[in-house]
Formats: sequence, structure tokens, C-alpha cells
Amino acid sequence: MTRFTKIALALASASLATLSLAADPIKIGVDGPFTGGSSSMGVSMRDGVRLAVEEINKAGGVLGRPLQVVERDDEAKNERGVQIAQEFVNKEKVAAVVGYINTGVALASQRFLQEAQIPVMNNVATGSLVTHQFDDKPDNYIFRNAAHDSIQAPMIVEEAIARRGFKKVAILADSTNYGQLGRQDLEKALELKGIKPVAVEKFNIKDVDMTAQLLKAKEAGAEAVLTYGIGPELAQIANGMTKLGWKVPMIGSWTLSMANYIDNAGPGGEGARMPQTFIQEPTTPKRQSFIVSYLKTFNPKNSRIDSPVSAAQGYDSIYLLAAAIKQAGSTEGPKVKAALEDLKTPVEGVVTTYSKPFTKTDHEAITANIPVFGEVKSQRVVYAYPDDQKKASEVRLKDVNAKGALTVSKKK
Amino acid sequence: MQILTQLIYSGIALGMIYAVIAFGYQLTFATSDTLNFGQGDALMLGALVGLTLVNAGVNYWLMIPIVCLFGAFQGAVVERIGVRPAIKIKSEFGWIMSTIALGIIFKNVAENVWGRDDLRFPSPLPEAPIKLLGANVLPMEILVVVGALAMMLAVELFNRRSIYGKAVVATFNDRDAAKLMGINTGLVITFSYALSSLTAAFAGVLIAPLTLTGATMGAVLGLKAFAVAIIGGLTSGMGIIVGGIILGIAETTTGFYISTGYKDVPGLVLLLIVLAVRPAGLFGKTAIKKV
Repeated sequence: MTRFTKIALALASASLATLSLAADPIKIGVDGPFTGGSSSMGVSMRDGVRLAVEEINKAGGVLGRPLQVVERDDEAKNERGVQIAQEFVNKEKVAAVVGYINTGVALASQRFLQEAQIPVMNNVATGSLVTHQFDDKPDNYIFRNAAHDSIQAPMIVEEAIARRGFKKVAILADSTNYGQLGRQDLEKALELKGIKPVAVEKFNIKDVDMTAQLLKAKEAGAEAVLTYGIGPELAQIANGMTKLGWKVPMIGSWTLSMANYIDNAGPGGEGARMPQTFIQEPTTPKRQSFIVSYLKTFNPKNSRIDSPVSAAQGYDSIYLLAAAIKQAGSTEGPKVKAALEDLKTPVEGVVTTYSKPFTKTDHEAITANIPVFGEVKSQRVVYAYPDDQKKASEVRLKDVNAKGALTVSKKK
Repeated sequence: MQILTQLIYSGIALGMIYAVIAFGYQLTFATSDTLNFGQGDALMLGALVGLTLVNAGVNYWLMIPIVCLFGAFQGAVVERIGVRPAIKIKSEFGWIMSTIALGIIFKNVAENVWGRDDLRFPSPLPEAPIKLLGANVLPMEILVVVGALAMMLAVELFNRRSIYGKAVVATFNDRDAAKLMGINTGLVITFSYALSSLTAAFAGVLIAPLTLTGATMGAVLGLKAFAVAIIGGLTSGMGIIVGGIILGIAETTTGFYISTGYKDVPGLVLLLIVLAVRPAGLFGKTAIKKV
């Protein structure tokens, strides 16, 4: 190497270094299961996040700095989530974290971020406790833009009991944190209607035979099955019903919209209904542009987003954070948190337009009036009620007085 | 009554799934006193290779022999790498570790090749249930039972009637004497591993349309099959079938009559009782170990 090239190289690298200093990226941690049974939610969420980050960076970033995502696969395992949270805090030094699909992982991991004063935007995990885990601390850094179980459980019950008039229902829930917390919420919501489920059954992840559970529900005379579980086992329930020749409506948490439920259950899975914050239909210009660019960028099978809800909420979570960082004028945790609790300008998202989504005491962006009922039809999730579809272009705004949610209190 | 029939049908179908996997344990134990703890993973590999072939347009029935060949090859590899060195140095436990390790490696490879999602295996038979004595059965469940029985019968016939099978039995009875009689016992052991993984791979494609297919499908099934092998007796093909059916029916009936939260308990309690009362298993021959 001649001396000249050496100097040129040194100059070039020096100028590169100053350039990168000028536009030091803002790191955002993204945590979710990108492999395994919950991966259709995790991957869709991550793709939604990527899409939002790309758009924001194209438009010049936030505070003149580009966003940079640090993606980590928690494999839906609590212990992996804990490691990742520590890595985010100590090694990557992220400004904020989005993600968490599995309630158990969220509850185990977010204490590290709470302690490090890093805001967390839960964009998929639905366990009621998630945002209330640190209610007794002076500052709570945990936010959420997903429909939590205390909204979903009463919606499921409302649909089954009030709208469709079933008197006898059975609950089938998996044995994880998610399933059992959801079962509690369902029982509470049923109690408010004065109804006791005729059967409450449990199943394990990876169970291949649901005969016993379904027969118990059938013998008890259940007219509908309420479910809380994830895709593969929900599919086994639908397959088990086909086998027994006993077909009653399945109504359950939003996971009934997962691609691995729809695909694995096949024709037996049709007709299942679940609360959804977003249905893949271009009902507003924002939703249309989101769907078009999602399909163009990631090209999912049959033009169907694996988990449209996760993708939309993942996308929105980044815009919410970006707005807060912009308003705070800083990436320091406490300032971003304060900005989130008092967002001045509304954020136009895919799910809704977030105007004042959070306050000091309310960290839930989604209220009971926002989700609609989706139904599995010809291997896709569509609006269950034509009325909802007709009115879909009217964006449903957050309403803190919306009825239907259970009250949540932190367990002592 | 109809309920009980239904529970028994499902129990038998579930039990036969366990039994076909457990049968593989019995095959290698019979020749080398060792077990392939990666049996569940051999099953998973068979199912995933089968799924790839079916998706590539190969007919389900044509795919089965190819998967069996693959399974045999995979079993031979496990024996050569994991078990033979341990047998050579007469290590009591080396093969346990190495077969578990190989199982984990296979699982990780599968995760990288096929991803970790559960996939749907298209059913070769109609998916509508058939009415039989007042209860419903899926055609695929009948196929699992028939296929498993046919496979076990074929292997038993081979062992009892053919000259090669006699070599297998001789190796089981007395490895050193068999060696002195001119039987290549090393080859026989390799063969038994190949045969055991072949049955696992076959079991994989047989049950895949009923369960879901994915890199983690083998773990739970392999463990349950192990319990079946212990209950039935590791030296008896008949015992494996009976053990499987007992465990399967115990699971479905407990789930219905007691609680679905406890459905795995009776099978495991049975396992403990069998170990305490008849350590060789319900149908196993009590082996006298000469020291």
C-alpha cells in the first residue's frame, strides 16, 4: 500500500466516523418468538415493526437520527426473554423495547427494563396483569397497544351469551400462563352474566388428542366452546370436533386468527370467531397503504398476513414510540415515558388514531370499544358482522368509559 | 356406553402411536442392550422428510419406502457414531449421552432446515370420520393401527423365520457366543439400529397427518413411548402393543372421568408400579445378570 492510499483511507474512515457520530442511530429492542408455535405472531409483529422503521427512516428518522432495531428471538421461553432483557439493558443500551407476544415471557422479562427505566411497548401480549405488574412503583414503564384479556374475555362472553344466545358453554384453555389467566377472566366475565360454564377443561402444549376434553364438553351439553390457547392446539380442538362429528361454534381469544390454526384445522376450523383489533381489509387509506406495502415487502403466502393483528400492532407500536421520542426531544427513558403519558399530537396508526392514548395511570391504548369480531372464512379472517364491515372506515377511537372491561387489580 | 367406546377408540389410536415408537426402543435393546434415546427425533426426521417429499409432489404411498430408507440410513449413522464406541469400551452409560446428544443435534438441524413451526401433513385418506359401533373413528386412525401392527408383525416374522433374523436373536441371547459362532455381531447391532430408526421414520409419516409435523414433535411422543416400553417390557413386542394401549386408554379415560389436568398421571403411576413390582415389564422376561 502506498503512503497516499494509506492517508486517503485514514481520511475516509475518519470522515465515516464523524458521519456516524452525527447520525447516531436510536436503538429499539424488538423481542418476540420468531420460531415455534407462537412464531406466526412474532414474525408478523417483527415485520410490522420493520415496515414502520423503514418508513420513518426514509422520512428522515427521529430527531435527525435513524431508528435501528435490535431483533432477538425469545423462542416463547421465559428464561430466554430474561436474558434478552438483560442484553438490551447492559449490552445494547436500547432506548425502548417493543414486542412480547407471550404473557409469561413479558411478565418475566420486563422487570429488568422497568428497573433500568426503559419504556416497553407491549404490542401483542394480552395478559391483563402485563401493564399492572408495577402499579405499586412510583413510575410504570410498561405500556401496551394490544387488546388485553380483560377486554377480550367479556367480548367473547358477550358474543356467546348475549349476541348468539347460548346458555351452556364450555371453556377449553391450555395449561400455560396465557391460557389459565384467560380462563380466569372468562369465568369472571361469565359470572357477571350469571352463568357457570358447564365444563372447564385443560390441555397441554403439544397434546395430540383432545377427545377427553371435547367429550366432557359434549356430555355436559355445551352449545359453544370458548377457547384460550395458541394455534396448533386450537387446530387439534377443531380437528377433534370433526372426528367426534360434534360441531358447535368455537369462540375464543384473538389467537384463533393465527395462520397455524387456520392452516392446520383446514375446513374444520371455519366459522371460529375471535376479537380482532385489525382485519386485513383496506377500509381506510392508512390501512390500505399498510397492507399494500406489507404484501409488497414481505410477500406472505396467498397474500395473507400470517397474523394481521400482530403486524398492525407492531407497526403502530413503533409510531407511538417515535412520536414520544420526538416530543421528548431525547431518548432518555424517563422523558420518553413522560411524553408517552402525555402525547400532544394524535398518532395515526393502522388499528386506530391514537389521540392521548396513555395517561399517568392508564397504560392501555386499546379500550373495549375498539376490537371487532373476526371470523375464519375460506381460510382468511374476515369481519364476522356486516355492520362492523360497513362502519369499518370510521376509525374507532379510544374511549376510557367504554363498557365491558373487567377491572384489573395487581395480585398481592 | 357410546362415550366409553369413543374413549377406548381414541385411547387405542393414541396408544398405537406410542407403541410404534416404543417398538424401536425394543429393537435395539434386543441386540445390544442399548437404547436410542433419539428415537423421538428419528420419528420427527422421518415425518419432515416425508412432508418435503409429499410437498414436492411424490405420492404418499410411494413416499413411504423412501422415508424408510432414509430412516435406516439415519439409524446406522447413530449406531456408528454414538453407540459403537461405547460398546467397544464396554461403557455402561456412554451410549446414553451420545444418543441423547445426537437426538438434540438432529432436532437443531431440523429446526434450521424446516423451521420451528408446526406444519400440516396432508392426509392421504378422507378426513371425514367413520361410524363404528356407535362411535366415530378417523380413517387415518385405523391406518395407524393397521400400519403399526403390520410393521411389528413383519419385523417379528423376520426375526423368527429368516436366517438373518436368527442372527439377531442369537446376538440378543448371548453376544459373545454368537460372535464365536461366526455371526458378525457388530453388523447385527448396526442393522438393529437401522431397523429401529426405520420403524421410527415409518411411524413418523404414519402419525403425522393426525398430529402436527414439526421439529419438536418427537420430544413428548418419545418420552411417552419410553414409558410404554417400560410398562410393556423392553424384550417383548407383544408387551409394547399392550403397554401402548394401556397408556393410551388410561390417558383418555382419566381425562374424561377424573380431570383433563391429571390425564398424564395414571400412566406414570402405572409406570412406577410396574417398575416396583415387575421391573422387567408386564411381558418382559426377567433377565438374570451374571456378574
